[in-house]
Amino acid sequence: MRTAARISGGLIALCVVVLLTDYAIATRRGPKDDQLIKALQEQVKSDAGLAPKLAGEQKRVTAARRARKSRDNAIAWLLIVASAVFLTAAKQVVGQPLRTRKGYPGGGSDRNRESSRPSRDMAPSGPGALPIAPPIDLAFVDQLVVREGRGKESAIILLQAIQSHYRYLPDEALRRLCELTEITPAEVAGTSSFYGQFRRSPVGKHVVRVCHGTACHVAGARQITEELRRHLNIPEGADTDAERLFTVDEVACLGCCSLAPVLTVDGHTSGRLTPTTACHALAPFAEKEPA
Amino acid sequence: MSEPVSRRDLLQQVVRGGVLATLGGGAIFLVQKAHGQVVWQVDAARCINSRLGDTGAEACKLCTTECVVALSAVRAVNEYSKCGRCNICPAYFNITSAVDEKGLPSEKLCPRDAIARKPIGKADPEDPANNFYEYIIDEEKCDGCGKCVMKCKEPLGLGSIVLRIRYNKCVDCNRCAISRACPKDALIQVPVEQALRPAESLHRTE
Amino acid sequence: MASRGGMLIRVRPGLAASLLLLLLLSFAPALQAQGIPYSRPVETAPQADTIGGGYKTPAVQKPLPRDAYLQMLDVLMLTAAMGMSVWLVLKRRSRKWALALTMGSLAYFGFYREGCVCPIGSIQNVAVALTDRTYAIPMVVTATFFLPLLVALFFGRAFCGGVCALGAMQELVLLKPLQVPPRLDRALGLLKYVYLGLAIFLAIKPALGRDFLICRFDPFVGFFRRTGAPHMLLLGGGFLLLGMFVGRPYCRYLCPYGGLLGWCTRLARRGVTITPDKELDCGLCTGACPYGAIDHMRAVRKDCLYCARCYASCPRDGDLAHAKADLVTLP
Repeated sequence: MRTAARISGGLIALCVVVLLTDYAIATRRGPKDDQLIKALQEQVKSDAGLAPKLAGEQKRVTAARRARKSRDNAIAWLLIVASAVFLTAAKQVVGQPLRTRKGYPGGGSDRNRESSRPSRDMAPSGPGALPIAPPIDLAFVDQLVVREGRGKESAIILLQAIQSHYRYLPDEALRRLCELTEITPAEVAGTSSFYGQFRRSPVGKHVVRVCHGTACHVAGARQITEELRRHLNIPEGADTDAERLFTVDEVACLGCCSLAPVLTVDGHTSGRLTPTTACHALAPFAEKEPA
Repeated sequence: MSEPVSRRDLLQQVVRGGVLATLGGGAIFLVQKAHGQVVWQVDAARCINSRLGDTGAEACKLCTTECVVALSAVRAVNEYSKCGRCNICPAYFNITSAVDEKGLPSEKLCPRDAIARKPIGKADPEDPANNFYEYIIDEEKCDGCGKCVMKCKEPLGLGSIVLRIRYNKCVDCNRCAISRACPKDALIQVPVEQALRPAESLHRTE
Repeated sequence: MASRGGMLIRVRPGLAASLLLLLLLSFAPALQAQGIPYSRPVETAPQADTIGGGYKTPAVQKPLPRDAYLQMLDVLMLTAAMGMSVWLVLKRRSRKWALALTMGSLAYFGFYREGCVCPIGSIQNVAVALTDRTYAIPMVVTATFFLPLLVALFFGRAFCGGVCALGAMQELVLLKPLQVPPRLDRALGLLKYVYLGLAIFLAIKPALGRDFLICRFDPFVGFFRRTGAPHMLLLGGGFLLLGMFVGRPYCRYLCPYGGLLGWCTRLARRGVTITPDKELDCGLCTGACPYGAIDHMRAVRKDCLYCARCYASCPRDGDLAHAKADLVTLP
């Protein structure tokens, strides 16, 4: 498409230049020809032998003017066609950031759709893809249970507190919870998987929420997510990069559709994104992290 | 229509009705004035090149230079029925130029060589005055510069060549660009039926 | 609407004939004046019988202007194209088909008919005909002026989007629209009324001082004819270049007929609507509209140029809704 745009753009420029030169030449040569013919006519009055030359000259001028007319018409058509091609190609190029770019695995294939979905997998020991969680201090759970009680009714409060402390639900903490309270492992698994607010894998330093509401979806949220995952080198099935700096999350709607496509990084919103600008939106947060 | 009409809707309907009536009235008024079609026409009686009394050396070239159509929609036309079919046509030859060995002027008048001269029947070299020639204007070469029109009238010509608008080329501008420039207001708008008639009606042999 | 249109086009034969006669009579002096200079000795011109030898006087070429039925066809095409535009935009809500219609109109009214007759220029003819009793306005021009206004009165500016060749040129070159600041947009929008006033003022002057400003500065007619005065071609080129980044600059800021259509559209029964019911209220259309005709997620009908881009950008409408949607699995 870019080549088509370039070629037709060049053709347009060429046509315009040709037409302009033609016009310039014609405006300069016209009066000159007239003068020449007038001079010849004067000469013919005294020397009849020049008559054929005059006739020839007149014929040449007429032929040149008629040729210019048909030539200009042909070039004008060429110009119109070239402009049509250029505009079609240019529109594709301009419209690209929102759609699929060349060499970019967007669009409809199933494989991509799978990879674009961040993992909410319940199995924390996935196929070796997840970053290994650091050892954690379980003293918090002990204190929490003492504070909130051991009843089943406080399951959600306990889970929320654990999540806000560790920023996710570590397996060790959940096991400890089951040991200390009346809540069964099955209940913990059920509750934590039912609510979207709980997550079972460690979260990065910054949480990137990419809106996948209807408007953002239409405006290319999927391409944004995919580009971010590529940019951050997040493996398939995971949602956090290896340095645990960013977690890329898909959310249903952030409520600012008019800015679509939208993402937030730790509550800071960026809108009207393209895959490129989406990566730029993360840059300030990446820099804050001491290397 | 069970829904009650709101005041806003009612107001809108009333105003719309008013505008509709105005537009309709205007349209009917204009339609009553209208007729099929008007076209521009070169009034030969006013055109410097064809009207009597003007025998200037320089023909008026405004029809060529002002028209918005490439090479102008105005072309010279030879009304054959009025053509004298002269041996030495003042519109074909530049009659002030030197005479060549055949006794004809050496120079043609048309700067674009658009007129062709063709003997009718067999040309008799002994009696050139009684030979007839047909003068055919090549419409594609002509650009309506009016030189031949200026020459084909009294005292030498019969006035058979006139400038005429070619309606297949004319784009029928609201105000003809030539008419804006024409010093004699020779371009007038007439009903199309009339514009096509003069050629016949002016032929007076019947 | 149909009956109205019918009334407009219908000729009253008796009336028309008598008026034609009147007109011819009024032109009679001109005819005579034309006859006088030709009282030259045309009888001396040798005729076929004096020349003899089987000579026949060749026929003088007399190309006719466009046939009356072809002119009627133009009016029909105009009506049909506006009907199509209304249907495609309001009912089908399809940008694709609306664009196809635009291109078709550009080919017919622009390149085939070479940009004439157009309603924009017809303003002047109507103004002249209303003020000058002797000026006769052709039927076709009358119809061309009134039909789009009537349509606007009921459906909005369907003419601008689907039919107008000048608009189509700009519609097609639009590459990367920038939003014009609303205040500037409004200020520039006033220019067209100035232009309208000026055009009418110059047109209703007495016959010889008359000037048809709109026609003389029509920016695109030179492209349709592929020839024209350099200033016109330059003006057109400038508008097209500007039009690549500002949506339809001539239509929005200069077109005097657009001003009239805008007034009629304020009274329109129907028009392009963006509703929370059929659409989404997500505001994507606001960004998609290159003409600044969407205000707070609602279409501003007097500015809406019937391009259907809003429907094309809408997640619930237009081509997207008709297409086989790429379903997503929600996590």
